[in-house]
Amino acid sequence: MTGRQAASHGPNALRRQAALALLLAAPTLFLAVFFVGPLALMFVYSWLEPGLYGGVEWTFYHLNFGRIFGWANTRYESFDPVYLRIFARSLWLALQTSFFCLLLCYPAAFWVSRLGPRARNLFIFLITLPFFVSLVVRLFAWVLLLRPTGFVNQALLGLGLVERPLEIIYTEAAVVIGMVYVFIPFMFLPLYASVEKLDASLVEASQDLGASRFQTFRKVVLPLTLPGIVGGSIIVFIPSLGNFVVPSLLGGAKVMMTGNLIEQQFLSARNWPFGAALGMTVMAAVLLLLVVYVRLLARDDDAAPSGARS
Amino acid sequence: MKLSSGVKPKSSTALLGAVIALSAGVLAVVPQQAAAEGKLSLYNWGDYINPKILETFKEEFGVEVSLDTYGTNEEMLAKIQAGATGYDIVFPSVHMHDIMHQLGLLAKTDIGSHPDFKNIDPQFIRARTDPQAEYCLPYAWGSVGIVYNRQKAEGIEGWADFFALAEKGEKIILLDDLRETLGIGLIMNGHSVNSRDEDELRQAADYIIERVGNISAFTYDSIPLVQSGDVAAAHWYVGANIFAQEIPDTLKYIIPKEGATMYQEDMCVLASAPNKENAIRFMEFYLRPEIAALNVSQQLNGTPNVPALELIPEAIRGNESIYPPQEVMDKLEIFEDLGQDLKLYNREWTRVKTAQ
Repeated sequence: MTGRQAASHGPNALRRQAALALLLAAPTLFLAVFFVGPLALMFVYSWLEPGLYGGVEWTFYHLNFGRIFGWANTRYESFDPVYLRIFARSLWLALQTSFFCLLLCYPAAFWVSRLGPRARNLFIFLITLPFFVSLVVRLFAWVLLLRPTGFVNQALLGLGLVERPLEIIYTEAAVVIGMVYVFIPFMFLPLYASVEKLDASLVEASQDLGASRFQTFRKVVLPLTLPGIVGGSIIVFIPSLGNFVVPSLLGGAKVMMTGNLIEQQFLSARNWPFGAALGMTVMAAVLLLLVVYVRLLARDDDAAPSGARS
Repeated sequence: MKLSSGVKPKSSTALLGAVIALSAGVLAVVPQQAAAEGKLSLYNWGDYINPKILETFKEEFGVEVSLDTYGTNEEMLAKIQAGATGYDIVFPSVHMHDIMHQLGLLAKTDIGSHPDFKNIDPQFIRARTDPQAEYCLPYAWGSVGIVYNRQKAEGIEGWADFFALAEKGEKIILLDDLRETLGIGLIMNGHSVNSRDEDELRQAADYIIERVGNISAFTYDSIPLVQSGDVAAAHWYVGANIFAQEIPDTLKYIIPKEGATMYQEDMCVLASAPNKENAIRFMEFYLRPEIAALNVSQQLNGTPNVPALELIPEAIRGNESIYPPQEVMDKLEIFEDLGQDLKLYNREWTRVKTAQ
């Protein structure tokens, strides 16, 4: 991405640079218009006064952040620690989602990578199959599955595993189940990509040289598949932090996450600037967390054998 | 947090999902086709107009009618404000009619001067910004009460009974709507659902918070759960009668005796409407008693069109949960626009939603 080798000499290098710039122009323009643009708009809105019926008044206004961080104290705008609490809870739920996705997908990725090519392609196809049906429809199917008279509970009752229907629907557990379900493909695909690249001869070499199975995993397999784990976790963590469909359908809107709070500001509360301020706060926090996470991993990575970096 | 118990084989989910998707797809095929004299595009609440009305209009005037739907007034307003164009007619609630009028989003139609406007009961011209009905036509109204499963909750009469069910271990669901749900707290404390008093609002929110442990969920999607008995009773609209009519032994809708809110939507033409003439033609078409009655026969809600009442089936006209007697009518309160004070509701609502 940084074009670090561009320093080589001659007209050839120049031509290559020009070609690169040309190729990058389209995606850069796209991102500038559809990502940076709206983001800048959000940033500006978060410092403006809310319009009475949505929209904004173009005057500088700091109370949107004051409500979140503690200096607002008027009839209409007052500090409430509830916003930070909702944020902490969302972080916790998103962490659980990433963890369980990883737990399910990591062994599955190894299993699928050992299958014959046809079976492997079939499984990759199956993992993307849910995308063919609308998310809301799939989640409503989960409501029907998880309710007390639903399939899951009836099956458990029928097998005599429980005496009375489990209270799953409209709890935090239902939200985590739903989010794990939604985000499994996002975890599986990057994991699979790095597991498949794993060179079996390195594992053999490690065993030949006397490493135990655990040592082999810890020193060879884990570092080599780390890029997939990191990539998958980030791709699952970030959207699950902002998800508002799962908590409102499976959590019965009793489990409020940051996404729901922000949605509420833009729609029923008609307070766009406060919604923007919440959004900016979440983004800043996520960015900070990611920087810390990647830094920590990079340090681990340096300690690992040099072959670990792909 | 145990997860293992909830993990299901994917295939059955996908299959069920596919079945639901297919049936939803079939339902979504609403009138479209027939290119003739022009177009008309409606932006309405989901399932809030009898599709036969659109067909009849299309046949009579040769106009291609399309229908998009929204779930809340705010969603519709946000879209129109964000610059959505192409819609001709929207169906805001009365307080949203006032807001949209102030924002200059509505077109003058002079529907109130049309000779057939005499069909409309004047008590339904409610929008304060439009006292002569120069802009919008009162469309439909109804109460917001309780729908219950007769095996689980037979005999409940009001909000106190509703929450008592939950005390006994039955499940109940409230709407995920800040004004409706805080409205119950206000009614039960003897305040107006349009209160702007911080103390009254705090009291109302506390009423809900004290009971939040017994409330299963805040959602609009409660009917299938009440029908299956997973939930004993739910806060819902008069439209629940549509389902109760199909399975009268299972479902029943009541207006709570302590009082309830009512809603009314008006039919408005947007200032940005591309087909203003067809839109006004549709409004005039809807003034006809037989058209208004056609809508009621499928929607089972209230109409402001007086002669239409003569044309609707006795089973609907005689149903007191749809057309309540005057003393019950007097206990139904309609929402007003609160302007800035909506923030007070929003704050209390966030408190309710985060209470455990």
